Amino acid sequence: MGISELSITEASKKLQAGEITAVDLARACLEEIKKKNKSLNAYLEVFNDVLEQARVADERRAKGESHPLLGIPLAIKDNILIEGRHASAASKILEGYVASYDATVIKKLKEAGAVFMGRTNMDEFAMGGSNENSAFGPVKNPHDESRVPGGSSGGSAAAVASHMALGALGTETGGSVREPASFCGLVGVKPTYGGISRSGIMAMAASLNQCGVFGKTVEDAELIYETIRGKDPLDSQSIDPGFYPEPQVKKKIGVPRALIAQGVDAGVLERFEQALSTLRGSGYEVVDVELPSAPLTLPIYYVIVPAEVSTDLARFDGVRYGLSHKGASQWEDYAISRAEGFGPEVRRRIMLGTYVLSSGYYDAYYGKAIAARELLTREVSKVLETVDAIATPTAPSPAPKLGEKSDPLSVYLLDIFTATANLTLHPAISVPMGTVEREGKHLPVGIQFTAAHGDEEALFNIGKQIGGNMH
Amino acid sequence: MISREEIDTLAELARLKLTDEEASGLQKDISNILDYVGQVSMQSGQGSTLTQDSPRSNLRNVMRADLPRADGDPLAGKREALLAALPKREGDYAVVRKIIQKDE
Repeated sequence: MGISELSITEASKKLQAGEITAVDLARACLEEIKKKNKSLNAYLEVFNDVLEQARVADERRAKGESHPLLGIPLAIKDNILIEGRHASAASKILEGYVASYDATVIKKLKEAGAVFMGRTNMDEFAMGGSNENSAFGPVKNPHDESRVPGGSSGGSAAAVASHMALGALGTETGGSVREPASFCGLVGVKPTYGGISRSGIMAMAASLNQCGVFGKTVEDAELIYETIRGKDPLDSQSIDPGFYPEPQVKKKIGVPRALIAQGVDAGVLERFEQALSTLRGSGYEVVDVELPSAPLTLPIYYVIVPAEVSTDLARFDGVRYGLSHKGASQWEDYAISRAEGFGPEVRRRIMLGTYVLSSGYYDAYYGKAIAARELLTREVSKVLETVDAIATPTAPSPAPKLGEKSDPLSVYLLDIFTATANLTLHPAISVPMGTVEREGKHLPVGIQFTAAHGDEEALFNIGKQIGGNMH
Repeated sequence: MISREEIDTLAELARLKLTDEEASGLQKDISNILDYVGQVSMQSGQGSTLTQDSPRSNLRNVMRADLPRADGDPLAGKREALLAALPKREGDYAVVRKIIQKDE
């Protein structure tokens, strides 16, 4: 086993014991990148100073520093700013854009001494669940290259699953970390809304966007999360640990049976029941719970998200940065830059958002969606007063084939179990629960847990009961 | 189905120059998606009452003071970096189209 296959916690111990150096680790990841990135297309750019960053980390350790992320190679999604480096959100509209400051999460990781390997491919502006909406080509799933890695943080997931990094940052709006984590056999965490600062992360639908983390193990994901969490004056919606009251441990897991009764792959359900048995074996009681509004999750989501997309992306106008075309009028300057800079899914969501926000339709769509979102939030919160976490499969199926989901609605349906936590602001985790077989290939699938606001601890505790390292 | 005229109006509002082909594709896609998300509006009258006593109706705007960036702010001292991102620049100015015309 090569050292790039180590978990972060294992690598960190070896670094501290002097058995390996950060330069060794970075070299091992670069070696994997050389072998695999061309076909996987996980990194849009591998930074040219990776070894230099690693040397600095080794020097810091020699001087006595010992943060567990010191010298650990991480992959960063392309919508997170690192000062002086390109950032494009996998969109042509940000062609040539160089970040002018560090995102707060990057600042914290730099302080810890992490090594940034490169920026990872994604669905353009994080809109998608298969990573096929990138302006720079799709990412492939390391477990079966004829399949998608999931999205929108597909590049980050593929990079960690193929040992081109030990952990990664992604972002979430409706499952963009948890769903690719499920498809690639990783642990993926979306914190409570506000848990991690979003300063320096490109907004797509700000009432749902969060930074999320990928690890090969629950411990790894927890370590990255603990390093980057906390209130930040630059994100007015960020919160400190302790913002929500500490819930009581109930040793109970709730399963919304009605919700998963239909449309879930038989193999996925089998793994899910096995995972629940494991939890029973660890002393958890598994009980049925009701979430009658949950079937409304995606209709709510696909009103609110496009509405926010149409406003959050209004800033891309060809005047302040990025792609800029000149037309016959002021309107054409904007409209040509935006039509050529944005890809089809981004344009579709901007159009849809403009529709649901337009006068005459606002109340019927946006107003109703906001009310239904509130209803859903209350329902989930109420259930979480009686159980430590709600469990579902993370996605209804293993990773689909590239090109299989060509109709926009069919991709949207992959988020059916994940998008709820984004709408209700609850923290959620996906943990590998085994594989299902397709055409002789073993495809990973994940189990998702959703906990009360601020109760990431429950997610990590429960996840550790399930979490076998798949890599 | 949403009309072609509506698509054209939306494109104008959204500042997107669409080709004919894309406009007709969007006519179909957006109609399908609206049919699907229409489930939210079919959740009869309960919506409006919920909004009124919802904690989210307490949402408020958060404004920052209009002051120079303080030391330690990640954008402090980044004037040149921000200017460098401008697609069209003259000195310390962004070049934009003239929008005020003299009356004929």
